[in-house]
Amino acid sequence: MTTTAQSRRVRLPGWLSMRALIIFVVALVLLYLAPTVLGLGDYLHNIAGLTFMFMAAGLAWNWLGGYVGQISFGHAAMFGTGGFVAARLTISSGLPFWATWLIGGVVAGLYALLWGHPTLRLRGPYFSIATIGVGEATRLVATYWTDFTGGSSGLSLPIGNGPTKFQMYWYGLYLLAAVVVISYWLRRSRIGLGLLAIKEDVEAASDVGVNPTFYQDVVLFLSGTVVGVCGGFYASYQAFIDPLDMFSFERSISFVLIGVIGGIGTILGPAMGAVVYIVIQEFLLASYPQLYLGLYGLLLIFVILFEPLGLSGLLMRVGRRFGIRPSPSAAAGGMSSAAAVPDQPTASVGAGSTDTKDGPR
Amino acid sequence: MLEVRDLDVFYGDAQALHGMALRVDEGEVVTLVGANGAGKTTTLRAISGLQKVARGDITFEGKSIVGRPGHTRSELGISLVPEGRELWPSLTVLENLELGCYAKSARKHRDESLERVFDLFPRLHERTKQLAGSMSGGEQQMVAIARGLMSRPRLLMFDEPSLGLAPVIVTQVFAIIRRLAREGLTILLVEQNLKKALEVADRGYVVETGSITMAGPARELLSNEGIRAAYLGL
Repeated sequence: MTTTAQSRRVRLPGWLSMRALIIFVVALVLLYLAPTVLGLGDYLHNIAGLTFMFMAAGLAWNWLGGYVGQISFGHAAMFGTGGFVAARLTISSGLPFWATWLIGGVVAGLYALLWGHPTLRLRGPYFSIATIGVGEATRLVATYWTDFTGGSSGLSLPIGNGPTKFQMYWYGLYLLAAVVVISYWLRRSRIGLGLLAIKEDVEAASDVGVNPTFYQDVVLFLSGTVVGVCGGFYASYQAFIDPLDMFSFERSISFVLIGVIGGIGTILGPAMGAVVYIVIQEFLLASYPQLYLGLYGLLLIFVILFEPLGLSGLLMRVGRRFGIRPSPSAAAGGMSSAAAVPDQPTASVGAGSTDTKDGPR
Repeated sequence: MLEVRDLDVFYGDAQALHGMALRVDEGEVVTLVGANGAGKTTTLRAISGLQKVARGDITFEGKSIVGRPGHTRSELGISLVPEGRELWPSLTVLENLELGCYAKSARKHRDESLERVFDLFPRLHERTKQLAGSMSGGEQQMVAIARGLMSRPRLLMFDEPSLGLAPVIVTQVFAIIRRLAREGLTILLVEQNLKKALEVADRGYVVETGSITMAGPARELLSNEGIRAAYLGL
């Protein structure tokens, strides 16, 4: 039954709220225009493009690490795979750059499935340890596979037939925009609810009909694909890549850091985390390279000790102080779809969320 | 409706079930009683597909379900209210219920199912937005039962529904089970509280060290001298 008033309005799918759509479009337009309006200067302009890429990679890592709760210390394997496939294609074929990124991404996603399908049956620390092994093994193979990766001397990409470094800002922005949309959809759709169920209790999820193997595989494939596309972007951006950098353990750790610093399981979190990561990387470590691991280690300890939800947790805490309350399960990233309860008495909506301690009957 | 034949289940080298066998007919309430560690929960886990079966067969409505993964059960019409409730504590009551009707066949009937469980548990209707983890044990058990019903099961299995609950709540839980049975739902009930379980059930099985040692109409078991001495201390 659609009344005329309803049919005239734009219908949004269930997972998308009008407010989120407006915020998203406004942010996109502002960021699109920012370089022209502000005139950022070459250095900042390029760094901003790279930051978009890290945001996208951090968000994609977070699908697995935050939504499903499987912390991967091996995402450099897909980053490198995507990067090298894209670089090889750029060198040897006439494909447009975006196609090489996409193909690199899909190859990386398939590679992720190859090792992920068996290892995702492990959970928690066991899975994480397995990913360290995968990451390191991939790095070693890539380093010695000279025909494909150029070995430790790496690959140089031809200059001139791809986007210029200046244009990479906008391609980074498009990439980020797409990844934000997928993140939002994954979180708010039925799939997102199923993922939360798997994250908290695999057996209970299986009991209600969520197929943990299938969903985890899908998420790992998506995550690996996007991180692979990011690798392709990075190859175009740097115009030179070598396996030691692309597949390094530090690279894997960077995705973990971005997720954890920003706030695991959230959408805004990894985006903020990437900014912090880049700022530290570019402005502090350039001056004090010997502090590299120490600084990140300290940061991780502080976040996990004092604010396990990272910068997002901090924001929520500040918000609460000013009387802004997120929906009860927003902290856990649940979807609040109470609007769809059949004849919900209006009075009880507020009551249910405020007095949580009512005691047993 | 459900038939378990000659079931062997191992945890590593330790054998938990030795030729377990039981039958549940349509519309019946059947209870599986016995001491701690007798193999009651293991039997339910095997039926739910959460535990690998070494030997034997489990058929539901004539078809073997052994070896089919756990997530297929709700589509078949089997639902479990697990021991210790196993809710998702950081999700809201409504989200927990929504997950209950995740299976494709149940999804279409979401609103209908919600109405039904809210009718059964009016308390939950007032608390759809509350986090499940912040509720009392009794309320959590209600959510767990409601979640189990959301998939519109034809067979509902309860694993120790009275565990860790105050006596007055236990009475309520059994009243719910009785009501569901009256409405025609087929129920398999695993319980340590033998007296309560046998009072609500049509038939009962007594489990000891992984196999059935006694079976019969619940009323007969309840008046059996051996059972009264061993389990009820009478």
